[in-house]
Amino acid sequence: MQKLQFRVLYRQFLFRIVDLELLSAHAEGDSRTLLGQFASLLIYCSVILAALAGIWAANVRNDRVPPLTQLTGAWTMEHFLIATTMLTVGLFAVLSWDSTFPDRRDVLVLGPLPIPTRTLFLAKVAAVASALGLTLAALHLLAGIAWPLALAQYDSAPAPALVFDPSLPPVRAADFPAVMNRDIAPLLQRLAPVSVAPAGPIRAFFAYWIAMLAAGTFMFCCVLAVQGIAAQFLPRRCFLRVSAFLQMAVFCLLVTGYFLQKSPSAVLMTGPRQSWISWIPSYWFAGLYRQLSGSLHPALAPFARRAWLGLLVAVVVTAAAYAASYLRTLRKIVEAPDIAPGYQSRWLPRLGGSFENALAQFSIRSLLRSRHHRMIYAFYLGVGFALAILFLKAPPEIVGPPPSASDPWGQFSVPLLASTIMLMGLWVVGARAVFSLPLDLSANWIFRIMPLSAGSRCLRGRRRALYVLSVAPAWALSAACLVPVWPWRPAVAHLAMLGLLGIILAEFSFAGTQKIPFTCSYLPGKSKFHMIFWLWFLLVAVVLQAAGEERKALESPAASIAILASLGIVAGFCVLRSNWQARSNYAELRFEEEPSDRLLTLDL
Amino acid sequence: MMLELRHVCKRFTGITAVDDVSFQARPGEITGYLGPNGSGKSTTMKMITGLLETSSGEILFDGRPIRSELLAFKRRIGYVPEEPSLYSHLSGLEYLTMVGQLRELPAQPTAGRIDSLLHLLSLHGDRHVPLSSYSKGMRQKVLLLAALLHNPDLILLDEPFAGLDVPTSLVLRSLIQELAARGKVVLYSAHELGTVERVSSHVVILHRGKVVADDSIERLRTLMSLPTLEEIFSLLAVDQDTAAVSRDIADLIRA
Repeated sequence: MQKLQFRVLYRQFLFRIVDLELLSAHAEGDSRTLLGQFASLLIYCSVILAALAGIWAANVRNDRVPPLTQLTGAWTMEHFLIATTMLTVGLFAVLSWDSTFPDRRDVLVLGPLPIPTRTLFLAKVAAVASALGLTLAALHLLAGIAWPLALAQYDSAPAPALVFDPSLPPVRAADFPAVMNRDIAPLLQRLAPVSVAPAGPIRAFFAYWIAMLAAGTFMFCCVLAVQGIAAQFLPRRCFLRVSAFLQMAVFCLLVTGYFLQKSPSAVLMTGPRQSWISWIPSYWFAGLYRQLSGSLHPALAPFARRAWLGLLVAVVVTAAAYAASYLRTLRKIVEAPDIAPGYQSRWLPRLGGSFENALAQFSIRSLLRSRHHRMIYAFYLGVGFALAILFLKAPPEIVGPPPSASDPWGQFSVPLLASTIMLMGLWVVGARAVFSLPLDLSANWIFRIMPLSAGSRCLRGRRRALYVLSVAPAWALSAACLVPVWPWRPAVAHLAMLGLLGIILAEFSFAGTQKIPFTCSYLPGKSKFHMIFWLWFLLVAVVLQAAGEERKALESPAASIAILASLGIVAGFCVLRSNWQARSNYAELRFEEEPSDRLLTLDL
Repeated sequence: MMLELRHVCKRFTGITAVDDVSFQARPGEITGYLGPNGSGKSTTMKMITGLLETSSGEILFDGRPIRSELLAFKRRIGYVPEEPSLYSHLSGLEYLTMVGQLRELPAQPTAGRIDSLLHLLSLHGDRHVPLSSYSKGMRQKVLLLAALLHNPDLILLDEPFAGLDVPTSLVLRSLIQELAARGKVVLYSAHELGTVERVSSHVVILHRGKVVADDSIERLRTLMSLPTLEEIFSLLAVDQDTAAVSRDIADLIRA
């Protein structure tokens, strides 16, 4: 009896993690299809990682590349793979935030049934563990074969001990191999030479999978532990309020942290030992991989120890929080309402006429109050901020030398210009992406029975919502950062250009059929994965180039005016084009992503 | 000002949900629209509101096909759907304000009207509470207010009593009669035959997508020589021997 109960519950919990919570809050479709789509997405990433292994091995694993460079290159890639695994698992844990612990639905539906709490608990744990295992297996399906082969080392490699004192001056990345091989490596080897043992492909294979599993488990447990501890220590009502913000904070931390991390070799070799690096979990598991593969460098040994300790602590704390949630929280859930009642309606500014105001305020409230939409929006913003920081930290070889070494923030440099442009772009694209995801399709009948149609008023409502949620905050943030540190003329000129660029990007979002934000259906398998988003990575080079051109133009008032005039004309054209396309006799207001079938069966 | 359906059909893939339905609903009259589950009542309601298109046939209001001037028609209808689907992240007040704005009602008088209506239906104290925390009855009240906010000429009520408490049900019953008395066209679908019998002057009974009766309750009683609407409905629209089904269920769960 209990075996059958366990099987049924396990299946339900597993599919719910993927179906209802992760992919779509209202996807009441085929769970198996959704699970397949989710796995396909991860396998697609695995294929890319596997291809990357081939490219990396071809370029790094050859006689032309010095052994030390090969070794540090391997560290970099190992760290990249571990950080990517931790990010993927962390995002999975954050997105399935509500389904990993028992919720009100579980209690109300399963409570009256004769199911022992132990069965419920075990089924939930098994489902969560399976979801984690499936995520890791799919992500490393091909990469888990290709990378151990690429990273396998057949000969012992000499390496610096990296425990030198005093510190050596920093070396530019491009000059690093030459300087290392010509001057520093012999010196270091003489001071404290170390021989890194080889790691064959078989051992590398097992080390790879164990390290990835450990890193993934650690990250998953950390996210669960944060949630579990908060659930135990906060009053239930307070926890429900805090939970959404906690989820968002963890999400932003994961995305931003991923983009800001450097390879452990880069950190260890470009300066003296810094104490903060021993607190970065991805470094711990890079050390763990080296330890398991038998090629541990002494500099990574403390990291490997921390990995084991961290894993143990994370698993124990999570297990305790999880068990406590079943013993204590189930009762609290029954007694307390799921939604904290009684919030005062927040004031929102009036955004145009009655109709436009209704659409714009509905969009703003939907984004601010829907956890799923906030998470997706936070993802775009997190990447935007991370790229902006990357620009600001980029070496001069990529972004050009700063105008003034003594005061890099006081000058209109390419990194500053590029980071504001990138922020604006991702802000607009993120808002556009979340607008297209429905909030509650069953409730959109209210819009469908309203006397409204596609047209300029509908466009104005959408436009105001998009501007308020994306263009205006990105512009205001840029202004707040630039105006205090830049001379007023280039600051004003750049902000004007940025505003016009925001308008152009936003107006492109209105092309095609008209949809009221958050009300149109969305097919998960069709375009769930925003390929357009990844184009932004390709556009990084274009943004840098544009920022370089803008910097030159900002030095001359005439060139600035010319660029402003050009952007103004383009923005004006885009606005007119959107208005023209939104004419009611031309446009169509749609609530279904797919148009209704134009063919009628003859029923013969 | 009359609602008229002429030979309306709605076919989904392989299924005819509504089959050649014709009837009229007149102002000052409450038309009860009855039928078992799956008989096509809600589909008809959705076609009248414009949510669904008819496969064939015509729906006219005031003598004009509703599709010819759909927006103008939508300005004149108030609709309470079968399912209380609302944007649950909004509060009751925010939802009603949004509906008023979408209908382009003047801001100040509408705000006052919403406030008074919330008081009358005992929702004022919970006006800032998100709809996700509302009970089914409270949600039904919000739907009702949203449907009546703009003083519509045609009122479509699809099972409006579901989840309502007794006092509000009594208020709604009187309200429907009051609105009809003020010249509104009221089409009202329900399963509570006792209420329909008390409220409606005219009933349309649907069975498997077809109209099987369309007349006043009085005339149906006389024609069929049956004393109550329930017996008329059982004869026309219930295929099963209800007593036999009950016996079978009891036997099955005992086995």
